[in-house]
Amino acid sequence: MFNAELTKHLAELSKIEFTEEELQKMTDDMTDIIAIMDKVCEFDTSKPPYALDAVDYNDLRADEHADSYPTDKITSNAKNVKNNSFVVPKVV
Amino acid sequence: MRYQPVIGLEIHAELLTDSKVFCTCQNEFGGSENTRVCPRCSGLPGTLPLLNMGAVRLAAKAGFATDCTVNNYSAFDRKNYFYPDLPKAYQITQFEYPICTDGHITVTGGKDIRINRIHIEEDAGKLVHDDYEGISMADYNRCGVPLIEIVTEPDFRSVEEVQDFVEQIALRLKYAGVCDARMEQGSMRVDVNISIMPVGSAEFGTRAELKNLNSLKAIGRAIEYEINRQSEILDNGGTVVQETRRYNDNHGDTKALRSKEEAHDYRYFPEPDIPPVMLSDEDMEEIKNSMPEMPQIRFARYTEEYGLPEEDSRLIISNKDFSDFYDEAVKINPDYKQISNLMLVELLRHLNESEKSVLDLPFSPADLAELVKMSTDGVVSKNAAKDILKIMFDNGGKPMEIAKNNGFIMDNDASGLEEIVNQVISENADSVESYKNGNQKVFGFLMGQVVRIAGKGANPKLAKDLLTEKLK
Amino acid sequence: MALKEIRDMLDKKEISVVELTEAYLDKINKRDKKINSYITVCQENALEDAKKAQDRINAGLSDAFTGIPISVKDNICTLGVKTTCASRMLEDFIPPYDATVMEKLKKSGIVMLGKTNMDEFAMGGSSQTSYFGGVKNPYDTDRVTGGSSGGAAASVAAGLCAAALGSDTGGSVRQPASFCGVTGLKPTYGAVSRWGLIAFASSLDQIGVIAKSAEDTGYLLNGIYGYDKNDATSSKKSEGDYTSLVGSNITGLKVGVPKEFFGDGLNDEVKAAVLNAVEYYKKLGCEIVDVSLPGLEYAVSAYYLISSAEAASNLSRFDGIKYGLRSGLGEDYSDLIKNSRREGFGNEVKRRIMLGNYALCSGYYDAYYRNATRIRTQLRNEYKEIFEKCDVMLTPTAPTTAYKIGEQENDPVKMYLADIYTVTVNIAGLPAISTTCGYDSNGMPIGMSLIGKSFDEKTLIAVCDRFERDFDRKEAAL
Repeated sequence: MFNAELTKHLAELSKIEFTEEELQKMTDDMTDIIAIMDKVCEFDTSKPPYALDAVDYNDLRADEHADSYPTDKITSNAKNVKNNSFVVPKVV
Repeated sequence: MRYQPVIGLEIHAELLTDSKVFCTCQNEFGGSENTRVCPRCSGLPGTLPLLNMGAVRLAAKAGFATDCTVNNYSAFDRKNYFYPDLPKAYQITQFEYPICTDGHITVTGGKDIRINRIHIEEDAGKLVHDDYEGISMADYNRCGVPLIEIVTEPDFRSVEEVQDFVEQIALRLKYAGVCDARMEQGSMRVDVNISIMPVGSAEFGTRAELKNLNSLKAIGRAIEYEINRQSEILDNGGTVVQETRRYNDNHGDTKALRSKEEAHDYRYFPEPDIPPVMLSDEDMEEIKNSMPEMPQIRFARYTEEYGLPEEDSRLIISNKDFSDFYDEAVKINPDYKQISNLMLVELLRHLNESEKSVLDLPFSPADLAELVKMSTDGVVSKNAAKDILKIMFDNGGKPMEIAKNNGFIMDNDASGLEEIVNQVISENADSVESYKNGNQKVFGFLMGQVVRIAGKGANPKLAKDLLTEKLK
Repeated sequence: MALKEIRDMLDKKEISVVELTEAYLDKINKRDKKINSYITVCQENALEDAKKAQDRINAGLSDAFTGIPISVKDNICTLGVKTTCASRMLEDFIPPYDATVMEKLKKSGIVMLGKTNMDEFAMGGSSQTSYFGGVKNPYDTDRVTGGSSGGAAASVAAGLCAAALGSDTGGSVRQPASFCGVTGLKPTYGAVSRWGLIAFASSLDQIGVIAKSAEDTGYLLNGIYGYDKNDATSSKKSEGDYTSLVGSNITGLKVGVPKEFFGDGLNDEVKAAVLNAVEYYKKLGCEIVDVSLPGLEYAVSAYYLISSAEAASNLSRFDGIKYGLRSGLGEDYSDLIKNSRREGFGNEVKRRIMLGNYALCSGYYDAYYRNATRIRTQLRNEYKEIFEKCDVMLTPTAPTTAYKIGEQENDPVKMYLADIYTVTVNIAGLPAISTTCGYDSNGMPIGMSLIGKSFDEKTLIAVCDRFERDFDRKEAAL
């Protein structure tokens, strides 16, 4: 059921690089983990999924702007900054 | 084979709020890189979104403007994907419970186009590419700008229907103060889903999604191009691929965007940081009542109640301020036709020539209403009314005062005018002779002489009658 | 020493804030090597805070927390002080803002001694997955502290702070409190602002407190609870004083005992100690009520699916670009973030992200994520019924006491199943408190939990306090 191909797919969705060896280990771990998770599949699916709790409309924020943060504080933890912007390898 | 296009639209409109949708940064176009950014919209760890009530209200207004059901309960979801312009790596949007559902707009030909949903979401940032260094630079100023996405059913069958719909949507959003709907600037972005099927078929073909359409004209050209492209493929026995295609305005064609490596799996799930939005019926009423009368309602009023021609009505509603001005004026003087004429011919010309808006006018709708009344009551001549309007346009002022100060008040004294007519006849014996010999054209010249001497206050009808009489 | 006693001594100037702070820092420097409860010790900042606090006391402007030295879990953002989540990913991350809880406590003049160690991104129950090394139990340094707030619990147990802030997503305050022989309170969801708490699972996370006693947890909760406009999920329903019912008569109080919490898998010594506590309350005149939470059998899987799904999304922002570890590997954007995440995250974090994406991805969503949310609704309803029959519910905190380092923390399945008694509280958003109710044959503390109605922390604290008064607590001999 759970196999290396699925692990690869999840790794792609998760954007995590794995070596072949690590992928194999992850597949083994996930196989065991999913076995416990399968318990939820036994649950009665006729029940509604979400509790639609009521909340108060007035709690929403009023539409008023305030000062933004200084740019240098926003970029202070980035490793590669140019023109006050976050640098990545070129994307198409 | 002959094909029938099947078209649906996805329209993104930027909301005219003061602040962004989930933080308090200012919602404004442009600015230096990352100057309208805070820990929230730049996705710093530990931060949480704070939904802007203004964005919810505007989205509800968009729903009311398009005959949607505005839902008491709506909720936000996360759409997960990695891209450098999306700092949290998920976009907050409404997936399962959108704020508005099931609307429609009637387009040219009387056909109803169904609106599936309108939902609220956040915009992403901007990337600037540097080919030389092989880098992209992310600017988050646009991150968190509030958007609504309007999704139609695939109900369109022609370019005209699409263009009419887009025009109407843009106008309604402007009326409701939801969005300034400037396609060229990107504040309203229209994506077109288009497929073709053989005429008479009921089964839709594979669709392509067209992006980067920033004018009505571009939409028309892109659809035409796409119909031809897909027809050729089918005629040659090929199959249309489902893909996103970018329209190039310079070439008038569409090109497939490089498909992403993995198939999209956005893994939507309910956004746990934002409680569901509850709008009470009272909230709804209040929001609805704060909206102006929509253009399509005004159009019906102008054509059906006021008896204005469709073309004139369309022209008036095409600008809300102009239409507001008209409505104010006819409230005071319900001479629908005359006010419409003066506004659409004279006033519109002055506005266009001076590139001004109705809001810049130094006179009120009441002044205009009075001017029209003065004209129809014979206080001033029609031509004088035009002159008075120009003076009002340039310098403001009350029409009656302007008329008095400039000698525009129509003189109805027949004896004075008769003297002038006699004078003109005696001074222009040659012309009179010519007229009596059958040259009707001379009459205009003689009238001109009378008016010249009598001044702008002369009653043109009276002058004409007198001259005709004397020339017999 | 109780927090209110410290308050008293400081206000009476029997000890200065600087002296007190120095004493703690001194202890940390000497003893923390043995247990590794702190990631960052704020030597200089703490002394500065102490001086300011003393000035304030001298000026007669003392507030509840002026000069009280605490530790803060390293997933709570602290302005200008490294906040790592015990991850290589955030090894050098310095937040440009304070979490709301820190803002509140700082306003009151708190002294922050340092940032405590934890399981990476709060994912775990052992505090062994930290990039900065595991935390050791002050009662036996060969054993785990539990987690994820293991550093917080150990720092309190070892006397390396007066009290601690932790966070609890599935038991991360209660279970380490139980393993380390101290008291841990997980408040009602929404009682404390999450602004500045680096999210693990947003619908389950709550900042909680760990202290030497139930009364102390209430004292500290008083400083951090309350509606916060920065957190839309925070509630206006929470209200202090959380210690107001301490000492009140609890005769006639209904204590629910859920049979599902005493079945297979529960260690005998733990079971005996917890049932002993049930007897204690009975003798006090409380009414013991049999209650049932049939949904418990689904709880662990529902919890792991929901929390991992949210975690997968919450942790997607760590891509090496805006902050955090940026890999030197990778030519294009996709490779850069894949390598950054590969190097930045530890194995358990990777497993959770993978599991979360499994729960959410196309083709699996309905079977896993959607069903898990159905179970969530079911458990909430079951709790509603339970609290129509009783005022508090009494359960074990964990199936076992602290185990030896290396014994089970590397087996994810065993680890996940061990969360059985704590996760339902988070799923239902309820408050719960764990305190020590005995010691096993190895001398390791045994924890019991009291679970209460939404926003009824006051009762929990009072009921827990009543037990603690008659319980002979043994200090860790570190």
